[in-house]
Parts: sequence; C-alpha cells; structure tokens
Amino acid sequence: MAPAQVDFVPLIPTIVVTVTALAVLLLGLWLRGEQGIWLAAVSIAGLVAALVFLLGLAGPAVSERRAAFDGMIVADNLSTFFGAVALVIAILTILLSEHVLLIERFSQGEYYALVLLTTVGMLVLTAATDLIVLILGLEILSISLYVLTGFARGRLGSEEAALKYFLLGAFALGFLVYGSALVYGATGTTTFGQIANVLRAPGASSPLLLIGLGLLLVGFGFKLSFVPFHMWTPDVYEGAPSAVTGFMAVGTKAAVFGSLLRILTEAFPALRAEWAAVLWLLAILTMILGNFAAIAQRNVKRMLAYSSIAQAGYIVLAVIAADPLGRAGVMFYVLAYTFMNLGAFAVVVAVADRGDVGTTLDHYVGLARRSPILALAMGVFMLSLAGVPPTAGFMAKLFVFTAAVRAGYVDLAIIGVLTSAVATFYYLRVIVAMYMSAPAEEPAPAPALRVPGPLLALLVIALVATFGLGIFPAVTGDLVGGTLALAK
Amino acid sequence: MIAPLSYYLILSAVLFSIGVVGVLVRRNPLVMFMSIELMLNAANLTFVAFSRYFNTIQGQIVVFFILTIAAAEVVVGLAIIVSIFRSKATIDVDQVASLKG
Amino acid sequence: MNADSYVAIAFWILAIGMVLAAYAVVALPRIIHSALALVLFFFQIAGLYVLLRAEFIAAVQVIIYVGAVTVLFLFAIMLTNRSYAPDSNPANRQWIAAGVVSLGLLGTLLATLGRQTWPTGGQVPANATVLLGQLMLGPFILPFEIAAILLLVAMVGAIVIARES
Repeated sequence: MAPAQVDFVPLIPTIVVTVTALAVLLLGLWLRGEQGIWLAAVSIAGLVAALVFLLGLAGPAVSERRAAFDGMIVADNLSTFFGAVALVIAILTILLSEHVLLIERFSQGEYYALVLLTTVGMLVLTAATDLIVLILGLEILSISLYVLTGFARGRLGSEEAALKYFLLGAFALGFLVYGSALVYGATGTTTFGQIANVLRAPGASSPLLLIGLGLLLVGFGFKLSFVPFHMWTPDVYEGAPSAVTGFMAVGTKAAVFGSLLRILTEAFPALRAEWAAVLWLLAILTMILGNFAAIAQRNVKRMLAYSSIAQAGYIVLAVIAADPLGRAGVMFYVLAYTFMNLGAFAVVVAVADRGDVGTTLDHYVGLARRSPILALAMGVFMLSLAGVPPTAGFMAKLFVFTAAVRAGYVDLAIIGVLTSAVATFYYLRVIVAMYMSAPAEEPAPAPALRVPGPLLALLVIALVATFGLGIFPAVTGDLVGGTLALAK
Repeated sequence: MIAPLSYYLILSAVLFSIGVVGVLVRRNPLVMFMSIELMLNAANLTFVAFSRYFNTIQGQIVVFFILTIAAAEVVVGLAIIVSIFRSKATIDVDQVASLKG
Repeated sequence: MNADSYVAIAFWILAIGMVLAAYAVVALPRIIHSALALVLFFFQIAGLYVLLRAEFIAAVQVIIYVGAVTVLFLFAIMLTNRSYAPDSNPANRQWIAAGVVSLGLLGTLLATLGRQTWPTGGQVPANATVLLGQLMLGPFILPFEIAAILLLVAMVGAIVIARES
C-alpha cells in the first residue's frame, strides 16, 4: 500500500486558517466584551497570513497545476483565485460583524472561529478534485453556516432559519452522495482526473453516469439556490443575522461556483452537451423567476435573497460557456459580486442595528438625511447590482453575456439583458426610498445613524473595489487569466 | 453465486425514493431528518455493492466518510431541533413558518 | 439447498424487510414508531453488508448508526415531548408533488439500473479489514484529516447551539 504522494504545500493556507480558528476559539474563553476586538485582530491576522501563503504559493502554481495526495487536491489557477476570494470574504465579514457582536452580545470567540472554519470549508471545496474531499469540504462549509445562522438564539426567526437551512442542506447532501455513488458505479473511481480518463474512451458515458451527474447537479442546485431548488433561500436570508446572511450569500456562491466549474470542466468534459443543456434550463428559470419574485418584496433582506438567486443565474451563463473566457467570466463575476453584495449587507447591518429589526423598505425612507454615507454607499451597490456602467456589476454582466454569446448561447444573453432591465426596478426602488421620498409624517428628526469604524472600513473597501473593477477590469488580468480575452 | 448487483442497486434506488418522499411529505423535522438518513444509507449500500462487484475496497472507504458526515449532521441537526423546541412548543415545519414573507 | 440458495433467501428476507422498515419510517403516524422502524432498518442494512462481504462496515454500521444516531434521535424525541401524541407526524398537503417527483426519480433509476449489464462478483480480498486500515491511512489520509476538522466543526456547532445562554 504505497503511501499517498504526501505534499502539504497546497494545504498550507487551509492549515493556517484552521490553526487560527482553534486559537481564536481558545482565546475566546478569556477575551470577552470590549476585548473581543483582539479576537477579530487575531482572526484577520491569520487570514492575511493564509492569503500571503496562498498568493506566494500561487507564483509557480498559477502556471502549472500542483496535484497532491494522488490527485485528491490541487493548487492551480482556479483554486488560488477562489481561495483568495474566500479569504477576502472572511476578512470583510469579520469587519462587518465586529460591531454586531458587541451590541447583540453574541459570544465572539465561537463566532469568529465558525467564520474561520467556514473559510476552511471554502478552501477545501475549491481545491478538491475528488468527490469525497468535495463533499467533506462542502459539509464543513455548510455545518458552520447552519450554526452561524442560528446564532441569534434569542430570536425565533434565527433558529427557524437554521432549521430550514439545515434540512435543505442535508437533503442536498443526500442527492450529492447518491449521485457520487452512481458516478463511482459508472466509472469505478471518484477522482476527477480518472473520471475524465474513463470517459475519454468512446461509448463510455452510460445512462447511469448521466443520472449520477444529474443528481450531483441537483445537489449543487440546492446549494446555489437555482430555481426550483431555491424555496429555502428567502426565509433563511431573512431569519439569519444580517452579517451572517451577507457572509452566506457571498461565501457559498463563491466556493460552490468554483467547485461546480472545476467538476464540470475537469471531470465531465465529455458530457458537456448534457450538463450544458441542464444548466441552460436552470439559468433561464433562475434569471426570470429570481428577478420577478424580487419585485414583490418589501423586506430588503428578502429582496437581496431573490437578487442573489438572480445573480447566480447570470453566473451560470459563464459556467455553461466553460471555455477560458467562460472561466474568467465566472471568476470576475464572483469577485465583483463579493464586493457589491457584502457592501450592500454592510449597509443593511448598519440600518438594522440592534435586534436586526430595521430591514423593511420603510426603514430606508429618508436614509439620505439620517446618514449620507450609508445612503451613498447603498446607492452605489444597488446600481452595481443592477449593472449600471461605471461599476463592477456592469463589467461582470458584460463579461458573462459576452462569454455566453461567444459560446453560441445568444438566447441566454438576451434573457439575461431583459431580466437585468427588470432587476433595475427593484434596485432603484431602494435608492428612491432613500433619497426621494420624505417620511409621511415628520417624526422628531430621526437620529443620525452612527457608522462604526470597521463597518466604515468595509464600506470604503467595497466602494473602491466596485469602482475599481468597473473602470479597469484588467487589474485582475493575470489571476483571472482571461480578462484581456474579453477585449479581443 | 451471490445475488446479482442489479438487485442491490434497485433496492437502494427504492430506498432512496422512499427517503425523498419522506422529506417532501412529512412536516415533523425529526421524521424529515430520518428520511434523509434513509437516503444516505441507500447511497452507502450502492457504494458497498459496487465496491463488492469491482473487487476493490475503495467503495467501502467512502462509506466510512459518509458515516462520519452523517454523524456530524445528526449532532448539529438535533441540537437545532431541540433548541427550537425550547423556545416554541411545536416543531411542525409548517407552523414554524413565522418567516413567510 | 446449497449455499447459494441460502444467500438468495437471506437477501430477499433482508430486502423486503428493509423496504417495509423504510416505508414504516415515513408512513407511521407516531414518530416514536418511526424511530424504532429506523433502528430495524439500520440492522437490516448491516445484514446486507455482511452478504456483500463487507463485515467490518456492517459492524461499524451497527455501532454508529444503531448505537449513536438512533439514540440521539430518541433523545430528541423525548425532549420534544409532544412526540407521543398520535398526530405528532402530520403530513403536508403537497403529497401529490412529492409522489410525482419520487416516482419520476424511481422510474428513471429503475430503467437504467435494470438494463445495465454488470460484472459478476469475483473473489473479495481475504483480509479486507487490514486493507481498509492501510487504505485509510495511505491514499485516503487527506479525507481522513478533513473529516477530523468536520467533526470538530460539528462539536463546536452543537455546543454553541444547545448551550444555555
């Protein structure tokens, strides 16, 4: 029994984040209340260290793949990019939730440890090239998010959201595991590379394999909340604490899309026609229903939930394209989505304030007067989500639609553009509420909203990134690898 | 000659479908979760059956990891279910829908 | 009645028993009966693993599933004390949709599984358990370590949720 080709280098970022999580968990026993700031500092330090290792390691790895453990995990362009995005998301989430933990008196040690462990799940998931490692990474990510969702134990909504998220996640796990079993049966292996080799032989794709792939796509559909698997999303997004909702909306999208991209292009390139057809249908349903359902929402968190469903529909366009431009499209869109959505949730957290209650549209009426910074920031993020030119959202949508058109899916691009037009309605409605409509009866001048330091830092970072990515997308050139291809 | 492989696969397909029905029909989260365990066990049975007919041990190793995942899910899931019961008398999923927009 | 027919008889007894137990888990009105049906189901699956010459997995199945998982279920049932009531297991109205989805799923599965030609089972390596251990700490060392992190997350999560604030 030859020992595995043990190569821990691709795993260094994962190990660093795990050790940080354990350290924060222990430190949490002594540092309470105001000293919690040190926990945040240790967490961010660990994440930055992991990011340095990841990008440092990426130097040679970006060009050539560095498989390890008999091809079960890999360090390549895809895993480096999505790993970096996962680490950035975690850092921004810690900035986002630092203030919330104080006013809600959550136990900070466990909260930061769970955020870090979710990041470990994301790092493992995007680097996994084996079905077992993929499912394990996905489970680490999901279980820590179930717990984070149910963190506000005082509030019933939070526990119910955790219950719903847990049941749907376990249901998706059932499909993923049974799909993997059928794929194992059809190909005799669970490693992506070997699956692709088996499928290279002519006539290798049996109906059993197609059903296995179908069930895997159902599992991924639940995790990415594609329509008809999206029923759980609005309730969970509304019930969870706003900081966790933002982390969940952005984190799972980035990691699971990275893994979906990898499994489809590396394990099942031979079945491209089949899975492209399935994703084609899911993309259309998701884009249309996601956007139209969002119009009816009065609660901003529920609206952002449907908006995240619709945005997932746009990213699927680039996954279907699956050529280098498509891969770059997925990467760029996920990066842009991270900043604009986390920025929007920063404003939601600031407005909702204690008890996470102020999340309906009426709480945003006249926000411009109460806090010009928040109103401006929210305005920019809404415009970016809608895809208005100078912002990253516009560049991301342009990228994704170009990739779809170049891959021959003109119909998808058209539906994408039309549904984006529909989407601008409910995004602009928030801006209108903030700036134009004065509150009906003039209560005592509403107290100016104080924006805590770390939240302000997050807003600034998100704004800079939203405009930066929008105006010079080539800045991500080498890592995204295909951005310049867009210009051709 | 032992029972042919297709018997085991058809049996696990039936069990998987019963599990799916259980999750979609039942409203009590505990029964929904038991149905999910049925689905996971159907997948385990498929893995072991294929591993037996491929004469390898690899399928059985995967079953170990699925057992670990199922155990982790049970621990967290039941913690959530019990903690919800402490703050509300009933744990019927439809009545638990105070979130409906 | 040579050995093969005994194996066939054992298989059919276990198979039919399992389908009935699985149906009982889903269909019984009282949730306490569902949990007991689940215990029976796990035992029968362990029996099938023995038939498939995976004795170690059968033992682990009994220990983990019957020993730990169902016991946790029974704890949860006891703690949510309305579970003795006859209507403790209400069905929701969408059983038509559920029926359509699962029959469609079952139909496609049976169609493909039935027609596929399968290799006939050869000789299983004798010392399967030894190989299992070597494989677990050899090529599968990575999932082994990641599963450790997963169990840590589950423990931290369960404590955080179930802790009295």
